[in-house]
Amino acid sequence: MAKKTYDLLFKLLLIGDSGVGKTCVLFRFSDDAFNTTFISTIGIDFKIKTVELQGKKIKLQIWDTAGQERFHTITTSYYRGAMGIMLVYDITNAKSFENISKWLRNIDEHANEDVERMLLGNKCDMEDKRVVPKAKGEQIAREHGIRFFETSAKANINIEKAFLTLAEDILRKTPVKEPNSENVDISSGSGVTGWKSKCCS
Amino acid sequence: MDFHEESSPALAFEKDAFELTVEDVYDISYVVGRDLLRISRTGEEVSDLQFRIVRVLEMFETMVNKYNLSLEELKMERDNLKSELDRVVTESSTGQETQAVGANQMVVDLSDPNRPRFTMQELKEVLQERNQLKAQLMVAQEELQLYKSGILPQGKSAMVEVDLDAPAQNGAAAINDAKEEKTTIGKL
Repeated sequence: MAKKTYDLLFKLLLIGDSGVGKTCVLFRFSDDAFNTTFISTIGIDFKIKTVELQGKKIKLQIWDTAGQERFHTITTSYYRGAMGIMLVYDITNAKSFENISKWLRNIDEHANEDVERMLLGNKCDMEDKRVVPKAKGEQIAREHGIRFFETSAKANINIEKAFLTLAEDILRKTPVKEPNSENVDISSGSGVTGWKSKCCS
Repeated sequence: MDFHEESSPALAFEKDAFELTVEDVYDISYVVGRDLLRISRTGEEVSDLQFRIVRVLEMFETMVNKYNLSLEELKMERDNLKSELDRVVTESSTGQETQAVGANQMVVDLSDPNRPRFTMQELKEVLQERNQLKAQLMVAQEELQLYKSGILPQGKSAMVEVDLDAPAQNGAAAINDAKEEKTTIGKL
């Protein structure tokens, strides 16, 4: 009997304005590191991180998108496959907060209807440069019925919590399969495309 | 008396040569003529000199006249060229955005080695390939780790997880997913 490497595969997506720290948030989560030099993401990139939730090994494939408008056509083509989307803004950048509604519209247009959404106000370590009050983030999240965290990739605040919460929310919606129900119908297009059971071969 | 008389026409003698006008030449000739008249009252050998001086003054008059006209012409020519240059410069700077190139177009400097030259589709393909290779590398690394640790028996590959399907192109994605899934399962 071969050891399985994971029970579930969740595909997540990071979106938001250029420079809000999407790549840093992901880098903190996947490699527990932080880099101060700003390198603009070209188009689309991804990282893999396996976590354990409720006794299940969940492989998170996290797509990191370029925030720049010029990559828009490339990045939006990745919305469809995502089961969870993290919308990131920068608490020191008012424009990035104003653009949230634009990003939410993008989700509505391009992502699956049942996609799990989450709002992150990043760079919360920079309190002296804050221009977006926490209450405003909470308010817009409430209006759209989505979860909200203020995070700091630099100071490692709420990063893991945000990813694990998003994964949990997706897990809750994922129909529980019996271990012997392998070869699940993956053509259904529902949120279980990543389901794989490799035991008992 | 004398001093007072001479004061105004004689000033022409003190002027810069390039500032002289034809009027100044007349002043000079007036003064010279008057001086000659004084001399001629005493002797008569000056008449030849008088004609020569008149001739020189005439030449002087012509030259000053010509010089001033040329200077004026050149000044006009210069001003014309200046305004023409201004017109061309403003036309090219505004025209670049409005008339020569459309509102949503940009000018590409073909001599710039860093100019944009690939299409979005090409970038998309390169990124897809990069991400696919990255995923395959991860799978290979994972398997290698398992072989090394002896968890996986030789020849039994259960860990094929190439799940990096191309970005979902709506309907095509599910089929793509399914296809990859089948190959994975087939290897079990």
